[in-house]
Formats: sequence, C-alpha cells, structure tokens
Amino acid sequence: MIAEELTRDISTAMRRLDAVEKSEGTAKYVSDYDFSDCLWARMVRSSVPRGIIKNIKLPKMPEDYYWVSAKDIPEGGHNYLHMIATDWKCFADGDVKYVGETIGLVVGPDKTTVEDLREQIEIEYEEQEPAVSIDEGVACKGGAFVNGNNIHCHLKLETGENVEDVFKRCDKVVEETIETGYQEHIYLETNGACCIPEGDHYVIYASAQCPFYIRKSIAPVLNIDPDKIVVRQATTGGAFGGKEHFPDVLCGPLLLAAYKTGKGVKMFFDREEDIENSVKRHPSKVVFKTGLDKNGNILAMDSKVYYNVGAYLASSFVVLQRGCFHVTGCYEFPNMRTEGFGVATNSFPSCAFRGFGAPQTLFAIETHMCHLAEMYGVEPLEYKSRYFIKQGDNTSTNGKVVERVMIPEMLEQVLKASDYKRKAKEYKYGTGKGIGIAFYNHGGAFTGNGEQAIIKAKCRMHKYPDGTVEILNSQTEMGQGFHTIIPKIAAHVLGIPVEKIIYKDPDTSRVPDSGPTAASRSTMIVGRLVEKAAQQVKERWNEKEFEVETHYEHPDGFPWDQSTFQGYAYLGYGWGVCVVEVEVDPCTGEVTTKGIWSSHDGGHLIDELIVHGQVNGGVIQGIGWASTEVLQNVKGHFKQTSMSDYIVPTSMDYPKQECFFVENPYEWGPFGAKGLGELVFNGSGAAYIDALSRAIGKRIQSIPCPTEQVMLYMLNGKDIEEAL
Amino acid sequence: MEETKCYMPETLAQALEIKSRVDAIVLAGGSDLMVSHKRTIGLTPVFDRPVMIIRNLPELRKIRVNEKGECCIGAACTSAEIAASTLVPWHVRQAANRMGAIGLRNSATIGGNIANASPKGDTLGPLYLLDARVKLQSLKSEREVLVSDFIVKFKTLDIKPDELITEVIVPYSERDFDYVFWHKVGTRKANAISKITVSMALKFNKDDTVKDFRLSATATGSKTNRSRDVENIIIGKKIDTALIEKVIQAFDEVISPRAMPEFRRESTRRMIRRFLSECARHPNNRVIETYDGYHMPGAIDPVF
Repeated sequence: MIAEELTRDISTAMRRLDAVEKSEGTAKYVSDYDFSDCLWARMVRSSVPRGIIKNIKLPKMPEDYYWVSAKDIPEGGHNYLHMIATDWKCFADGDVKYVGETIGLVVGPDKTTVEDLREQIEIEYEEQEPAVSIDEGVACKGGAFVNGNNIHCHLKLETGENVEDVFKRCDKVVEETIETGYQEHIYLETNGACCIPEGDHYVIYASAQCPFYIRKSIAPVLNIDPDKIVVRQATTGGAFGGKEHFPDVLCGPLLLAAYKTGKGVKMFFDREEDIENSVKRHPSKVVFKTGLDKNGNILAMDSKVYYNVGAYLASSFVVLQRGCFHVTGCYEFPNMRTEGFGVATNSFPSCAFRGFGAPQTLFAIETHMCHLAEMYGVEPLEYKSRYFIKQGDNTSTNGKVVERVMIPEMLEQVLKASDYKRKAKEYKYGTGKGIGIAFYNHGGAFTGNGEQAIIKAKCRMHKYPDGTVEILNSQTEMGQGFHTIIPKIAAHVLGIPVEKIIYKDPDTSRVPDSGPTAASRSTMIVGRLVEKAAQQVKERWNEKEFEVETHYEHPDGFPWDQSTFQGYAYLGYGWGVCVVEVEVDPCTGEVTTKGIWSSHDGGHLIDELIVHGQVNGGVIQGIGWASTEVLQNVKGHFKQTSMSDYIVPTSMDYPKQECFFVENPYEWGPFGAKGLGELVFNGSGAAYIDALSRAIGKRIQSIPCPTEQVMLYMLNGKDIEEAL
Repeated sequence: MEETKCYMPETLAQALEIKSRVDAIVLAGGSDLMVSHKRTIGLTPVFDRPVMIIRNLPELRKIRVNEKGECCIGAACTSAEIAASTLVPWHVRQAANRMGAIGLRNSATIGGNIANASPKGDTLGPLYLLDARVKLQSLKSEREVLVSDFIVKFKTLDIKPDELITEVIVPYSERDFDYVFWHKVGTRKANAISKITVSMALKFNKDDTVKDFRLSATATGSKTNRSRDVENIIIGKKIDTALIEKVIQAFDEVISPRAMPEFRRESTRRMIRRFLSECARHPNNRVIETYDGYHMPGAIDPVF
C-alpha cells in the first residue's frame, strides 16, 4: 500500500494480503504440516441410524497401533463436546443415534496399515427404528429419544393482539407449509486437524473458524484447564459455518488419542467422508396460518417453525432462535405469533451454515407473501411493499428497528437495472419466462446483548519500536477476506502502510479471545475494536513500545431479555433486495438464469472487491440451495456423497451479476461498516423460486427444485393463482 | 494389503501379448477406475487383478477415416481429442464435448466410456444412433461387434479375457441426415453427469416421406435405448401429428427409467415431439437442438 492509497476512501479495493501465497500454493494448510513421529488416525463410525452397540470386534493390533474409544477417557474426564449445549458425545458409548456417529479411532504410524485395520473392524448392533425426517421426529417414530417428545428446544414469540382472537374477525384464514432441505457446505478444503503433546499441554492445528471454541469444547474430555490446550489455526480453505463447531468433533477424539499414545496424532477427511459425516444446514418446515381481510390485507400471522436438529442439540437452539426472529422478514405485521421447535431425529446433527437459521424462515415468508399476492391477483412486489419495515417499527421480538432502512433506495436500483416492472407485466404466468424478487435482512452479531454478556470480546494491539504494529485477536481468515480488511482498517486509522501491520492466524496462547468468526460479527464488532485500538495507538504513537486492549461495550438504551427473547434482538441489520430472471425449457424443465441483480446495505463498505466476492458467492450459493443442491437422507444415510452427485453450481450456471450498494453508515461499526457475509445468502433462493414459479405458472412450496422437480410441477403442479 | 502389479506396454503387440497370458484390468484414462478403486487421502488404489495401462499405445490414439468412409476412433482417444476433430460425426463430438469437466475430458477415453457400460455413458447414445462398432483384437483374432450388442447389459460386456478394444468405427455421420438433434439434460451446465440425453437424426426422401429416422436415449433404463421397431413406424411415411404421437407412445414403452421416471419419460416425449414437428416444417437450420454453452473450438459445428 502506498501513501496515496491511504488518502482514498477505505472502500477502494486493494489486493488481498493472502492473494499471492494462496495462488502460488505456498500457504500452509493443516495437511501441509510435517510433524515427525506423528501418528495417523482414521475414524470408525456408526453405520446404523439408531441402535445398541452389542459388540466391537477388533483385529489384533500390531505394536504401535491403537484403538481409541470412550473407554480411554481418564477418570474425571467427560464424554461430551461443549458446543453451547453439552449433549454431543465425543464417542458413542453403548448406543448410537445417527449414521456417522464417532465410535473410535484407529491410530498408528503407517496410514495404509491404519486403513487396513479399520476395514477389519466389525461392529454388531441391535438396530432400532429410526426417526429421520421432521415429521418422523415429531411423531416420535421408534419412540422418543429426547425429552420424551423429541423436541430438543422450543420458543414462542408474540406481538400485538392474540392471533386467535384476530382470526375470528378475519375474512379468511389460509394455511401454507413451506419446506427447505439440507445443504452441505462444500468448503474447498475438507476437515482436518492434528493434536501434538508439548510438555504439559497439547497443541491443536486445525482448519477451523473458532480456535477458542475448540479449546473450551474438548478440554472436559481430559478434565483439564482450557489453557492447557493451545489452538493454532492453520490456513483454512473455506468454512461457511461448517468449521464453527464441527472441528471439535475431530479434535476431541484426537486429544484423547494424543493423551493415550503420548504422540502427535493427525486426521484428514477425504471429500466423500466429509460429505457423509459432517454437519449440514437444518432442513426446515414452516407452517403459516395467516388471517386476511376481504382485500387480502394481512391482519394476523401464526407461524410454526420446525428445524431438523438431528441427534444432538449442540448449537441448534441458537439457530432456531435466529430463524424465529427472522420469520417476519423485511415486514411489519400487526399481530404475530411464532413458535419454534428444534426436532430430534436420527440424522447427522445440523449446525451452523451461512445465515444460521435465518435463510429458512426468510425463504418461507418471501414465498408465502408471493402466494398471498398471487391469490389476490396483486403483483407480488406491490403486495410486499405494503408491509416494508422502517426505522422505529416493531420487530418480531417487540424491539424497534434502530437504523434507517433503505429498502426504497435499494429497490429503485434493482428495478431500474433489471427492468423488473416491464418484465413482470410482460411475462405472463406459465409462458416459460419469469422474473422474481425477494427482500431480506440479517441481524448482525450475536443476539441482543450476547456480545457483552456472553462473548466479552477483547482485542489487543502492540506497537513495536521499529514502527510496526501487531493486531492480536482470535478472528480467522477462511477465504472471506477478513485478514485483509482488518489490517486495512488499522492502516487507515494509523496512517501507516498496511505492510507495517502484522496480523497472523490466531494462536490461542498469544491472542485474547475476541469471539468466534461467525454471526456476521467480525467486521462490525471486532473491526470496531481494532479501529478503537488503532485510535489509542495513534494517540500514543511517540512511545517506543506498548500494547493497548479494547473491550466490547454494548450501547445503552437497547434492552434485551434472553430468557423471554424480548427486546432489541439486533442493533444493526444488513438489508438486501434481489431480482432473478429465468427461462425454462418447455421440453425438459431445465432452467436458465438470465439475470441476477441485487442491492445490499452493509453500511459503509470496507473493501469493495471483497464485498463483491461475498455477493457473487453468497447469491449463487443461495440459488444452489434452492435449485440443484439436492441432499436426501434415506434411512439415516445421506444419499448424495460426492461432488458429482451433490450438485453445487458452477460459474457456467449463472450469468454475470449486477450488484449495487447503498451508503448507510452504521453508527457502531468501523468506518460505518456492518455485517454482510451471511446477508448475501439470505434472499436469492426466494427470488429464483419466485421467478421460476411465475415462468411455469405453478406454485412451488418446497426447495430444492432441480430440473426433474420443475417437470413434475409443470405436469401436476397447482396453478400459481389458485386459492391457498 | 498387497501391491497391485502394473503392466505398461509400449506397443499394441506387447499389450495383446500380455493380455494373452494375464487377465489384467485395462486402464486408459483412469477416470472411472481410479475413482471406483480409490481409498482415502494419500493411499494407493487397490485392484484385485493386475492392471495394464494402455493410455499411450500409439496405435490406439488415432482418429482416421477408413476406405469405406467410416470414421475410426482409436480406443484410447480422449474426449477432448474427439470433440475437437471434425472427422468425428457431430453427435459423437457433441457428447464428448459435454462429458464431465475439462480435466476429465483430457483423460477419459472413448474405449473406457464404452467398457464402463454405464446407462449414463455420454458417448453411448450417439454410438447406438449411428450403428457404431467396436473392434476387438487379441493375439489370435480380430472381430467387430455393434456397440449395442457389445454392451450386453448393465456393466456387462461381450468380451473375452484376452481381447482388447482397439477402435470404435462409426459408419454414419450428420452428412447422412437432413436434421440432427442432441440434448443432454445434465445435473448442471458444466461438469455434469447426464440426467437424460436424447440423440436423433432424420432424412427425408424427395417425396417428403421419411427415408431414415433414428432415436436413442441414455439414462432411461439399465442400458442405452434404441429401437428399430419404433423408428420403422415413421420410415416411409409423411410426418403428421398422429404419427408423431405413435412414435412417442412406442418409444415410451421401450424405455424403463427407474429413478425419476415421470421426468425422464415426459422430457423424452417432449423432445421427440419437438424434433419431429420441427423436421416436418423443413426449417433451413439443420441442427434442431444442440448445446449452446461453452464448447471446444470446432466442436459444435456440423459438417454437412
């Protein structure tokens, strides 16, 4: 960075600091580390969705080869992983609750021998009847296995009047169910980790989003202080939430293996192993009951939100909460009742995935709104715009929208670029051409006062005598560009070139805990702490060497009650509008996306190029979720297990996108920036389905919707304007 | 685990000699075999028989036209080579051009695509359509057999342990027809496996009756489907709506898709209807349906 660049607006794109090492191939990923004397581990997992382990028949283990299982947990240690809840077992013990549950590790010096031994292990089960889908879970198929009712977690929100009373005075009360499926993260780099004993502590190298989460999660296995575990993040090749808690499932068993053998132990998943045996986006089912007057105006809405949590709760209650908070989308409705149910099933536990529960309910409300509009013969955009939420309006948790909502400005940008109004009028339903629109938001950072009450983020900055400055916090680079924008923020505040700033992949023994790299919080929360630290360093610049520390402080006057979920859930939302245009081949049902236009409000942008990357990736990942990314769970087994049958979009599938932004600086963010990484995923799927549904003239209530499904809708689907 | 014994002959004669005494698995591009035999990261694939790699046999890497004017494609020619050669009939080039991803097309071979005998094999629909034959050679013998007979059923070939597929001979090309059609419904627009592929070709007599009509479909049963009986319904007659529907109905009875049957049947019906009703209009454009996305230079244009 040259001095001149510092005088430009911070939004001006700069070359990513990791660009060269990643394109040259010199960046060191976890499987690139070479530790002498390190053992290989392979996981042995449950092959049945539900059952009692009757017997484990092991081959004779040669010298230096080990079987590591729950029985090796030392006295005082716990057989669980702490991932918000503590129900996820480190190793299955006695019974198994899902296909892929960890039973043990085979560990040894030669990886071929380890694999040969693993293939010889025979596990005998007494199989039980599994519940796999949401409906089977709710019906307690095979008998309840969680809480007597298979409901892991539950919440209820109400605004305005009691909806049942309002329904009585409605002209009509309609019901509609909207469903969404699994989604696999398909990070470029599959999961992998090493655990190396060093003196009286253990060092973990992992491809991971949240180094401090790993420490906290696995320390109970050996009943040791988390400080005795040092986590060093290796260069991480993508995550999307799939490496927020899931690395714990590798690291817990590796820690025990290192304890048992006294040696370093490493484990890497191949792609099929990773798809079959890792967490996914929660499948969902949202049942709306909406009360309308004779003109089709919404008087009350009741929504029941069901998420398929899988066998263990882990972090899913928080996902469900976010889902329920976002069920009103970008709208204010007069009277609402929302109930969320986290359903226990015998499937691989679901976990974080870009959007963290919000995309499911946002897809549901957008789609439901379209169907209400069409049923009353109103253009969907016109219908939706009657309910747009504004600054000061009530949210689903009886808080207020704090910031200015720039939906009208964003709408104008995308309408003009896409020529939406003309096309919406011209493309008659069922003629093979369609244009669709969706509105969405994403609450930035942890819910309510969670940043202050739970995370208590800290950031340090160290000035060295030679004028270099080191940023110390636990935020990770995983491809999203964070380790470029943070030095950029510091450089702009300090007025020094970015080359003078050191910002390394976190090592928990060196950096303070600034919280997880998740929840669209890193830029708005930690970026702000870095900005403040840099301001302090600048004031003391003449001192030779010193360190400053900044702490998160929640702004006053925005109360939140975590026990009742009432109040200001989020201080800053990202907002988005997306228009998608499609054409359908009448012979085959193949869909060609002709155009994608979006506008996003991420506050004041820190780096335009990085933001463009987020928009391009997020929007297409959202359309993939809604279209080709079919992931079926058949009797507890994922049916699609490779990149050739789990169909993520390619760059050939979509045209060049046009993206717009609005300038809406966020009061408490660095340089006015707020969260954006998840927002960009949240609405493109709904816009795509709206367009597709208009093109074929049929109502679509479930995603994904691949080619063959489009054909079935064309043949047997319900007409788009039919009454709900 | 035992190590796999691997042969790497340098000439066809050496390969046939090895085949005469060793029942070796023949590996050309490896894009099917290395995947189906892989173990986890960093481990060598394990085969239960010796492997003979024929990738670089010069005799198997040529594309030529024989004295009868038939296109002969060496069994170890890659999809990329086939897609780029205008000697190769249009339908075959189309299929080679959209097989998998670029990297795969640089290694996968036509011999391998046939030998894999998958109902989804990309080149099989065009090869069935154009009466293609495989040449099988052993130390002692040489024979030719129709691809459609060579693939006996799902993953099963009419081949003897000492025989090697050396060439694929395609006797017809787009020049033998007035109108051609090829449509692959892939899982996505690139790097895709076929959900269904329909290949068609038609030639009129001077009096507007149909001289020749051919239709094949992949991924619609345990092997690629083509039926002379169905084609004969329309041959010698003028195309009309009733006749089109008769062809559609008859072909529907030929195919037996197990997964996604409604989709596969209906899209096949609609594609046949589209092709035949377009042909009946005698449009100037002789390519009724093709892939309009990225293609290898020269891969897409027909040579009439």
